[in-house]
Amino acid sequence: MAVRKKQLRLVVTFHTTAGAMAAEQLCRKLGLEGRLISVPRSVTSDCGIAWSAPPDLRSTLEARFQEAGIDTAGCYELFL
Amino acid sequence: MKQQNWFREHGVILLTGVIVGIAAIVLTACGNPKNMGFCIACFERDIAGALGLHSADKVQYVRPEIIGIVLGALIAAAAAKEFRAKAGSSPACRFVLGLFVMIGALVFLGCPLRMVIRLGGGDLTAVAGLAGFIAGILVGVFFLRRGFSLGRAYPVRQGEGMILPGVMVVLLVLLVAVPGVLRFSEAGPGSMRAFWVISLAAGLVVGVLAQRSRLCMAGGIRDAVMLQDFKLLSGFLAIWITITIGNLIIGNYNLSAVSQPIAHSQHLWSFLGMALAGWGSILLGGCPLRQLILAGEGNGDSAVTVFGMIVGAAVAHNFGLAGAADSVAENGTYVVGGIGKAGMAAVVLGFVVLLVITLTHLPRKEQA
Repeated sequence: MAVRKKQLRLVVTFHTTAGAMAAEQLCRKLGLEGRLISVPRSVTSDCGIAWSAPPDLRSTLEARFQEAGIDTAGCYELFL
Repeated sequence: MKQQNWFREHGVILLTGVIVGIAAIVLTACGNPKNMGFCIACFERDIAGALGLHSADKVQYVRPEIIGIVLGALIAAAAAKEFRAKAGSSPACRFVLGLFVMIGALVFLGCPLRMVIRLGGGDLTAVAGLAGFIAGILVGVFFLRRGFSLGRAYPVRQGEGMILPGVMVVLLVLLVAVPGVLRFSEAGPGSMRAFWVISLAAGLVVGVLAQRSRLCMAGGIRDAVMLQDFKLLSGFLAIWITITIGNLIIGNYNLSAVSQPIAHSQHLWSFLGMALAGWGSILLGGCPLRQLILAGEGNGDSAVTVFGMIVGAAVAHNFGLAGAADSVAENGTYVVGGIGKAGMAAVVLGFVVLLVITLTHLPRKEQA
């Protein structure tokens, strides 16, 4: 059975689930790679939803989210 | 290897599920009502009764399990430096949502955790509740996808985050030092209780583990549906399996849809009651157990939700909204329990209120 290697990912967290939903909608519209995930336990004990993307998209995502008025809570680079 | 990774990632949540299951079995063996080792809704209802907020004399007792869960979560959060006092996310709406989640749960006769415990005892009447709970969660997820939000919480002073733990400490002091000021049931479910030290210890253990694992009955199904992430759901399943095995070992497993402890056979209203609880839990961001844990971590909005649930329990019993268990009459006839017209009206009103709160917290067109 193949072992799934952990990869470095950018994890963007939001203050509300609605923020994560808006981020997903925007990234789909712009064709930016990524997906919604449950916020990793190592980031917070909250049980929210985060956006996981390749780390090289960090500056693009930060700029796009700011332009769209999507309020982020934090950006983390984690092996997932 | 893949299996090893799976167990590493799911270890804490699986362990939590197993311990919660064992704790529920032990509490029942030590005196709690059958299939009610834990029930957040029922135990908050008992606390409301003990404080005189309702006068249903069979359901009055300050349940140390609730105190233990909140204080356990506080201890775990403080030890991990995760205690964060925050509040301000539509507290009034949360109070009302908590109230109707409680009414829905008491119509069914149990919170989502007790629903799983009932299933683990072989109670087939709980299947309707499970179906309703899933349906309610799907409705909630539908609106989450459309941007539903009660707004963000903001950091507040530490004291705000200590409100519910503080209330729990006061309740514990009253229970142990001045029980005369409280009401205690002499018959019925409220009179069936494990020794308070055992109940408190079980609550503390569950509170610590649930804080570490983020165990949530509603969150498990939400994550599975929205994110195809089955981690939280595995905790839910671990409780079910552990309780099933435990009940089989001690001979308490009774696979049947009749004569189940503190349960009724009005399946439609079990379905609708838990649909109300499931939808409300998704809007609140967690099931009743999760609200206690979040309040223990310093979330003032969850503390308000818990107060809403306690008031909801009082309303449910003062206005005859809660379900009555099936029973056997003196002549041996099986009497189907359930809810009356007032309870049915309350459930319908609950759906209307949830819909209004949902629609008024969707993004406006220019925001969408």
